Amino acid sequence: MGTVHSAAIEPYRARLFVEDEIVKDAEITVGVNHRGVERIMEGLPVEKANSLTEKICGICSGVHLWNSVLVAEKGLEIEIPERASYIRIIVAELERIHSHLLYLAHGNEVLGHETFSMRLFYIRETVMELLRMIGGNRVQYGVPIIGGVRPRAELDEMKTQKIREGIDYIREKVKEFADRFTSDPMIMSRITGICPLSRKDALRLAVTGPTLRATGVEFDLRREMECYDPFEFDIITQDDGDVKSNLLVRVFEIFESVKIIRQALDNLPEGAVVDRSWEMQDTDITKSYVEAPRGTLYHSYALEDGRVRNVVIRTPSMANIGAMQHALIGHHITDAQLGIVQCDPCFTCTDRAIEIVKI
Amino acid sequence: MEHILGAIGTIIIGFIVSLWLPGLERKLIHARIQQRIGPPISSPGIMAPLKFFFKQTIKPYSPLPRLYNSLPLIGLLSVFFILLFTLPEAYHLGALASIVAIVGFLKIEEVIYVFMGSLSKSVMSLRMPFPDLAKGAKHPNVQRSFLEDISAMRAFRLIAFGSFPLYIALFIPAVISRSIFLGDIVAYQQINGPILFSVAGVIGAIVFFIGYIILLNEYPFVIIKAKADVIEGPYMEYAAKWRALIYIMRGFLMFTLAILFSVLFLGMPPTIFTWGILVNILVAVLFPMLMASFSAFAPIFTFKQFYPVTFGATILGVVALLAAFI
Amino acid sequence: MGIRSYARARAIHAMLVYTGGCNGCDIEIVNAVFSPKYDAEQYKIFLTWNPREADVLIVTGPVTKQNEKPLKEIYKAIPEPKLVIAAGACALMGGVYKNIHGDIPSEEIAGPVEKIIPVDAKVPGCAVRPEDVLSGVVSILPKLLEAK
Repeated sequence: MGTVHSAAIEPYRARLFVEDEIVKDAEITVGVNHRGVERIMEGLPVEKANSLTEKICGICSGVHLWNSVLVAEKGLEIEIPERASYIRIIVAELERIHSHLLYLAHGNEVLGHETFSMRLFYIRETVMELLRMIGGNRVQYGVPIIGGVRPRAELDEMKTQKIREGIDYIREKVKEFADRFTSDPMIMSRITGICPLSRKDALRLAVTGPTLRATGVEFDLRREMECYDPFEFDIITQDDGDVKSNLLVRVFEIFESVKIIRQALDNLPEGAVVDRSWEMQDTDITKSYVEAPRGTLYHSYALEDGRVRNVVIRTPSMANIGAMQHALIGHHITDAQLGIVQCDPCFTCTDRAIEIVKI
Repeated sequence: MEHILGAIGTIIIGFIVSLWLPGLERKLIHARIQQRIGPPISSPGIMAPLKFFFKQTIKPYSPLPRLYNSLPLIGLLSVFFILLFTLPEAYHLGALASIVAIVGFLKIEEVIYVFMGSLSKSVMSLRMPFPDLAKGAKHPNVQRSFLEDISAMRAFRLIAFGSFPLYIALFIPAVISRSIFLGDIVAYQQINGPILFSVAGVIGAIVFFIGYIILLNEYPFVIIKAKADVIEGPYMEYAAKWRALIYIMRGFLMFTLAILFSVLFLGMPPTIFTWGILVNILVAVLFPMLMASFSAFAPIFTFKQFYPVTFGATILGVVALLAAFI
Repeated sequence: MGIRSYARARAIHAMLVYTGGCNGCDIEIVNAVFSPKYDAEQYKIFLTWNPREADVLIVTGPVTKQNEKPLKEIYKAIPEPKLVIAAGACALMGGVYKNIHGDIPSEEIAGPVEKIIPVDAKVPGCAVRPEDVLSGVVSILPKLLEAK
């Protein structure tokens, strides 16, 4: 299945070795999408480099920017005000909601169910409107900056009220959708037991994120992050690692995100949102990890004279997609297509290479 | 003379009604269920084929382009003949106006999918240029196949299993009225009332409905042209006027099968000079709408679900046959 | 207008090709067609994935070197009359990947879409808004209707 295909939003190439329509072996080739982002970032001033990381991916753009800003703040040892941290978390959780809704809608489209896909896209519009209200743009909103949050993203009474209404609406509609979805025998027979990934395989192949949680391992990076300490949420796991488990994990994670946003809105502390009283120094390579909607995201770079050096970015989809090659074996082609989509692949994030020297 | 005028008039009316059917299905049912405003009613059925007539004709990428291009015409002709032989003016033609002939023409219409699939080699499947051919090379020297070949094999299986429900449903009225000729079936129903109003008839109608969906390749039985993996299946290389023929053939098939239902189960052959034609048009409009409301809520069935469902429908058909004997 | 332009105006098939990039424009366009809020089917624009069936080609993303030949092949496979719409900042001028002027320029971008296939309409934005894409398609229609 070539680079442009109806079920794949991004270009990649999947070679399936098929015998009588059952997949015997699979090979997913990435690399068509390579833009050399790490290479272009070399030598840019810090703020410009941060704004470039946002354009790596259109779906998870907020977490890329957040992580990149965290690297700079860790290296320069800047303390940001608490209100800024809460606002950053609200935006990150809203992004998680919209990314999971996109995954559900796309999964339904691959399944063949256009009606559910359209209903989910309609629910997703609410989140886009909220993000546009906070950040200014629907897709790349650019809320975190070094030192805090952009002053435009300040939340006043009216905006908090709108966010509350928005997430109540989302929670109600997604609950209805989940009840309807799981009680439909045609869909359930199509997704149960398809392309399972066992727990041992998942740990061996370095899978992260909701795909790992769907196989039964309880690991959520948000518990390790300092800024998530005041919030209380559950880690969602399912058992089988097949398509049904992946879908259900993400549906329940939407509910958890709604819980976190409600807690953040209730306890929003007062104060400034940005702290510009820091000064630029040279730093060594600092690393930062964050929980993106697809798994663990890693950024690292060093600062030299205000410019960025030695960027390394590693996205979760890189390992998840590789693990999917393993899970596809033994299934029918149409199910295999569903199996590739089940790990929520983001091929645009994945294409990366470190190429400082040209041969 | 009157007979011939009546036949031509009925066919023309059938053709005109069938042009509106895809639009009705898309706007009134699919769009309403998906909570959006759909396209205007004339767009998918009439305006789309018309627009395709005005596009540049290209040579399809295929080993036998002229055969590939003529396949929709063969399909359209076979559907046309089915409609022709349900007209009462054609009943005196003997064996051509019987259930056996109709089964034969439906077979032709199904078999052309297999040919279309194996003859179409589109750019979207294998000819898409990619820098390397054998990266990783776990299994070198393996034959690479086009997406449409998979579709052709699936169409083959669909012919083998998927046509059972419709064919059994076609034979139920024949068993009840003790004859396979359409003229006798209609005459039997003029005397004893429509077959639909008996136990065997009701079950037969349900089986016919399921067979209708399978034959038209609508969701959930859409595996030969599922958007998820074979993009469009056998139709990939059609452009310009041949694609227009595909669209028209689909609308025509929807109409013709509904007319077949009204002849076999309701006993109302289409004649333009009586009010019965309105009943026929009503059935022709109702069937696609029912089918669309069922298919809007169904995912694509893979073979794992397809076999049990078809098997169940076949058993139901056999039960109806037995009930007809009693 | 004659029957030809009338028929062409009432059923337009659009095909979407995504050639590398960040994915944002692509999702916004799929949003425009697949979501009930910006439903493009009410404007008689149908989405298709088959170049033989398409009239309008919507290209997003800066064309990476490995996607250059596929894009040309798909463009050749569409029968006349055809239109091309380049949507998004990346498709118009290489976007942020070509123009950020760091120390080392990117080598993987084969240039904006204009260098590879002729473009009829340009829709700016990063990411492009669905309503802009729809108005772009609608504004280019007279060229399609009057073409031979």
